[in-house]
Amino acid sequence: MYRLDDFYDLSATLTDYPVTRLIGTGVGNEYNQTLSQWVRQDVLDELYHCFSQLERNNDGQVCPQALRHQLLSNEKYGPIARNIIKMWYLSIWYKMTDNWSMTYGIPAYSSPVIGVESPTPEDYIISNNAYIQGLVWPLMGSHPMGAKQPGYGTWSDAPLNSIASIHLQ
Amino acid sequence: MTKCEQFDVVIIGAGISGAIMAQQLGAQQKKVLILEAGTGTDGRFFNNNDKKGYESYMDTFFTAMAKIPNAPFPNNPNAPQPLVTDTRNMSDGKPITNNGYFVQMGPNPFASTYTRSEGGTTLHWLGTCLRMLPEDFKLKTHFGHGLDWPISYDELQPWYEVAETMIGVSANARDQNYQQIDNPAVHIPFREGYDYPMEKIPQSFLDNYMNQGLQGMSVTIDYHHYPIKVVSTPQGRNGMPRGDYRPVGAVGNQNLGQRCAGNSNCVPICPIQAKYNALKTLAQAKTTGFVEVRNQCVVSDMALDEYTHEVKTVIYKQYTDTQTTDYEVKTVSGRIVVLAAHAVENAKILLAAGIANSSDQVGRNLMDHPTMLTWGLMPTDIGAFRGPGSTSGIPSLRGGEFRRKQAAFRIEIGNWGWSWPAGAPISTVPDLIDNKNLYGAELKRAISSVYPRMFRLGFLVEQLPDPNNRVTIDERYKDQLGNYRPVIHYQVTDYTRAGMAQAKQVSDELFAYLGVEAYTQYKQSDPGYVTYQGEGYSYNGAGHLVGTHIMGFNAQTSVVDKHQRSWDHPNLYLVGCGNMPTISTSNPTLTMAALTYWAADNVLKALEQT
Ligand SMILES: Cc1cc2nc3c(=O)[nH]c(=O)nc-3n(C[C@H](O)[C@H](O)[C@H](O)COP(=O)(O)OP(=O)(O)OC[C@H]3O[C@@H](n4cnc5c(N)ncnc54)[C@H](O)[C@@H]3O)c2cc1C
Repeated sequence: MYRLDDFYDLSATLTDYPVTRLIGTGVGNEYNQTLSQWVRQDVLDELYHCFSQLERNNDGQVCPQALRHQLLSNEKYGPIARNIIKMWYLSIWYKMTDNWSMTYGIPAYSSPVIGVESPTPEDYIISNNAYIQGLVWPLMGSHPMGAKQPGYGTWSDAPLNSIASIHLQ
Repeated sequence: MTKCEQFDVVIIGAGISGAIMAQQLGAQQKKVLILEAGTGTDGRFFNNNDKKGYESYMDTFFTAMAKIPNAPFPNNPNAPQPLVTDTRNMSDGKPITNNGYFVQMGPNPFASTYTRSEGGTTLHWLGTCLRMLPEDFKLKTHFGHGLDWPISYDELQPWYEVAETMIGVSANARDQNYQQIDNPAVHIPFREGYDYPMEKIPQSFLDNYMNQGLQGMSVTIDYHHYPIKVVSTPQGRNGMPRGDYRPVGAVGNQNLGQRCAGNSNCVPICPIQAKYNALKTLAQAKTTGFVEVRNQCVVSDMALDEYTHEVKTVIYKQYTDTQTTDYEVKTVSGRIVVLAAHAVENAKILLAAGIANSSDQVGRNLMDHPTMLTWGLMPTDIGAFRGPGSTSGIPSLRGGEFRRKQAAFRIEIGNWGWSWPAGAPISTVPDLIDNKNLYGAELKRAISSVYPRMFRLGFLVEQLPDPNNRVTIDERYKDQLGNYRPVIHYQVTDYTRAGMAQAKQVSDELFAYLGVEAYTQYKQSDPGYVTYQGEGYSYNGAGHLVGTHIMGFNAQTSVVDKHQRSWDHPNLYLVGCGNMPTISTSNPTLTMAALTYWAADNVLKALEQT
């Protein structure tokens, strides 16, 4: 698994969930694999290097402004960071622009798995299980629609959103 | 062609109407064949090697990007089905002939869909099981337009009870008679001492919040005051049984689906089958030992006996799999033939066969509930995105004197936030990340402080029967098996638009009463965008396709008689919402099921006579 620890580290900062919570979803490996499937390894190396510099420059605490300046607004890293957040929340890999994919990505037509003609695949849900583990559901005080059934009549209870979003950490 | 098999009854379509018919007849030891166009799961819940079970629908659902009503069910070009994502804006005035299954002639797009798989459209229905109001059966008499039914509420009443028991409806009769609403037009008489087989499904936190918040609210239409009352909705969904009634669990796994477990996914698919679907009735039909269900058989034609005008044979195309067009043409015959293929498909088959149409009403009077949504944010967390899709509504304006001038409507309270109007959360969260540039704690706050407050209402507005709203067929438009695609002419008239305008007015007052922050937006580019008196409104499809082969008082003006029998062919019965001459404000399936139990009784009597 390519640089899984770095993937979790970066993910924790991007999502504000502790690494333990992210590991607890059980689908981090799949997301990391998805990332390596569409982003070139040298680009990932640079991304993690950039992120570790941000950590190092500020005693392990990433300064939000620096993160925006160095990473989120960067034309190479920004799209990766946003796709990582979207994977955690929605379990979907979103299509990068063709231009980005040609420069930094692994074009889809070179992938034996998907083999489409465009350089980028269409948006897709990473797996059944990943859909169920999306972070957006508990954060809304709910559960993935169609899974993790909360039980008869629970919809009458007062919402417990604050517990789901804050105390779960 | 192979030799023609004989049955007591041949039923076309394995949806709820066909399943009810088969179960009732099989129980009386009549030999029944159901021909079903779609593929099926053959009573399996779990996948069994290469044989797919109900759980395969869940797998398809989980990984489908667009979680539309037909998302879990196979895309089958041999029995194609309409998709909500096919619907397009038609303001340029041009027909749409090549986008999806329907050929849309306009002027407005028809936005509703159905499912062509074993079990039919109840695989993805919501399960709302309302009775019609007594006045709904006599629109012409009371309001001077629309049509009267040849059957009254009182006559149908016992069949409503049968249907509610057989579907398994959860509700309390003392709520559903609407006596608590100070508008006599909506009162529904129930038989003294009757109650539903299961107690009402618990109302959502939102329902209860609204119930309290709306105390004392009323609206004024033409100097009449109508109280706004929140009432729990009767649902074909397992709850707490009354007396010795026992809920029917999932087909293929009876331990599942004993009670609704709150999967919040009734449409497009209940993972545990706590929600009724027609597979349950089909399973009961099969256990009689007299019913055979034959999947992958698309009925395309029927042939008549020259002298008796009876339907002599039913002609179908049996295909081997969904991805190739290999098929064999076969025929069967039945002493009685029942067409139960859904309103649009029933009309299509009759038009293709050129039968049952001496009235020229086949395909005409197509109706739906143009459904207008309004949405906003509640001032406080109401726990959105939990529970069945809707557990309550506001039925106060289902009837009243105003129906002389404008459409009545029922208000549905949605439990799933903005999932219908905006595709939340899947379609809306990316915007927070990509455009609002949120990440980390800010992103969390944005979601947790807004999404649980999301709120929407749905207004199901009635349409009147209009002979120009119709399903036709055309040689130019066929599917890959050579069967006709439905060609649809559809218009939302001013009567309905006036109802939409009234609905918006009620919504505005209700939002103001509760302090809802409104986000409703109707865009000119919406497929269902219409205007009325200079204001724009958008409708969606409800999936309530009604009126394509209406029943009536005589053979000149209707397709079937009161007994649901074709006026033209003595051994042909039609069932389904196509028989209903008006749609009014209730989701149509319970009424249709009641009519189908009545029809089955009539078929039995007819079989006994011959
Ligand atoms: C999203 C959605 C939500 C809904 N929610 C509700 C609700 O809450 N309450 C309510 O009352 N109603 C609801 N409805 C409507 C309800 O589902 C229908 O009224 C009901 O299913 C109609 O039953 P039917 O037996 O006539 O047709 P179907 O259930 O559609 O069954 C017809 C069957 O016939 C088969 N068939 C079609 N053509 C052929 C052919 N040529 N040969 C052989 N077989 C054929 C089909 O494959 C299908 O299995 C909803 C509909 C939708 C789309």
